[in-house]
Amino acid sequence: MSTSSTTLRPRQALRGGRHLVLAMLSVLMLFPLILVISTALKTGEDVRTNPFGLFSSVSADNLVTAWTVGSFGDYVLNSFLLSVPSTILVVVLSTLGGYAFARLPFPGRSIAFYLVVLGLLVPFFTYMIPLYFQLRGMGLLNTLVGANLVLASTGLSFGTFFIRAFFTDLPTEIEEAARIDGASEWQIFRSVMLPLVSSGAGALAVFTFLQNWNNFLVPLLYLPGGQYRPLTTGLYLFLGGRSVDIGPLAAGTLITILPVMVLFVALQRQVTQGFLSGAVKG
Amino acid sequence: MNRTVVETSPAPTAAPSSSTPVKPPRRSGRPRSGTPSVTRKAQTRLGLILVAPLMAMVVVFLIFPLGNALYYAFVDFNGINPRPPFVGLDNFVELFKDPSVWAALKNNVIWIVLGTVSPLVIGLGLALLVWGVRRGSIFYRVAFFFPYILPQVAVGVVWGWIYDPTRGWLNRGLELVGLGSLGTGWLGNPDTALYAVLGTAVWATSGFVFVILLSALRNVDTELVDASLLDGAGPLSRLWYVVLPQIMPVFLMVTTITLVGGFSVFDIVFIMTGGGPAGATEVLGTYAYGNAFQLNRISYGTALALVITVLAIPFAVWLNRLQRRLSLQGMGA
Repeated sequence: MSTSSTTLRPRQALRGGRHLVLAMLSVLMLFPLILVISTALKTGEDVRTNPFGLFSSVSADNLVTAWTVGSFGDYVLNSFLLSVPSTILVVVLSTLGGYAFARLPFPGRSIAFYLVVLGLLVPFFTYMIPLYFQLRGMGLLNTLVGANLVLASTGLSFGTFFIRAFFTDLPTEIEEAARIDGASEWQIFRSVMLPLVSSGAGALAVFTFLQNWNNFLVPLLYLPGGQYRPLTTGLYLFLGGRSVDIGPLAAGTLITILPVMVLFVALQRQVTQGFLSGAVKG
Repeated sequence: MNRTVVETSPAPTAAPSSSTPVKPPRRSGRPRSGTPSVTRKAQTRLGLILVAPLMAMVVVFLIFPLGNALYYAFVDFNGINPRPPFVGLDNFVELFKDPSVWAALKNNVIWIVLGTVSPLVIGLGLALLVWGVRRGSIFYRVAFFFPYILPQVAVGVVWGWIYDPTRGWLNRGLELVGLGSLGTGWLGNPDTALYAVLGTAVWATSGFVFVILLSALRNVDTELVDASLLDGAGPLSRLWYVVLPQIMPVFLMVTTITLVGGFSVFDIVFIMTGGGPAGATEVLGTYAYGNAFQLNRISYGTALALVITVLAIPFAVWLNRLQRRLSLQGMGA
């Protein structure tokens, strides 16, 4: 078990050197982030005349400009209006469906399951163009409802998979004990099984929220009108005038990534778990 | 007694597992011969109720548009005509003859090769460095993983500044180490633009590879590593013969993910260069988008998107099989 406690002194020096290398690499990896924060917090004058100064001045000017003139205040609201309902939809439908696929026999289960699997195999890219015309036909183009439904649908396949695995891992004895106690199938699901996967559902919620918050293509394609523009496409629009105003652009970038940063730092394990399972189980 | 069982369960265990890279439903929820038929019926009913909203969403927003994609690819739809004429394989024939498609495909291939190999090498290097670090490994995980979860637009914006010809940090850094002559407008120069965007993508993906490989390394049998130490194995042969075989399934899985992602790359290219300058960074994804939404060649764009998918799926299936075989041989993980 213990790999190094018995080995010799030089390893300690090695470990110190290793931390030094890792610390330098961390700074290198995080440098673009440092650049955003520094530029966003500099004065407009400083951004223009001293592009290579890091944290050389402090001002909220850029943030204020981005928030008001750059409409980032509206974008933030729209981002929440697009991320929260779609996330709730994904978590609820995936949990219900995941339980059915994991523990309940019903006719057509295999076929239904393969239809869901298809969503993991086929990139959104493949059907995004016909989906545009479908939404237009349904009157859902340029609506929050339409964009939320599409965002949710892109997360459902993974969500169902993710939650199903949690339900599959629960021992049958729990279910059977409840059944012997006279619980109905719904009660078994609602009161016995559901609470046991709450950590999984939480991780899914965080992951899905981030995915939807970061989503660029869905609002780009299906909210072309601009009245519900979220941060991602808002920032892209703002990018058009990049040569003019780097300061407010940095501030807008900071506003866009701030919730991501906060969620990641606060819920590091859940976020990582979500992203890893997204890869491992898909 | 088993009549209900036979009727209601489509024998989930018999689902063909080899045809998809994803595991079919496993044993639980299986019909147990001891279950009374009343319970069985109640389970069936609840199952149908629970799965109904999910399937409604999947059918309307996935299956239906997918079917439509197939339809669009065989007609000539410009976005307006309600009854587009059937053109058979014309769209695909045109794709095959379109030099822009081949140019884009070449960029995709470069993207797939470099965009898979570099994050794997960097991620493995980082993972090996952090492996065995006891204190502070969480910090490194956060630091390295962070770029991966950022919105691509934000990533594109920042790297746009870094690559800027006059105010960019890259040229500045090159000057500082005496390589100022290499400086260029990285995104504006057709010779460098693709690699500049690729570099950004590698930066964002390496941390993801790192975290996955690190968690795989944590499961490596350390006694084997210790034994090889006693046998006097050098670090490289230890890595090659002892460590790598143990993490091979995970390694292949990450390869699949980055490789398949290379076919459908879109966001970061669209954001950073839009396919330019002069088509230098055009990939299949941006070309399909441009055709469909800027030139109103809906059918042509859709056909191209289908081709991209069809190109990518065999790789995914193949690598996933390989991975499953290895994991069965290796440790039954």
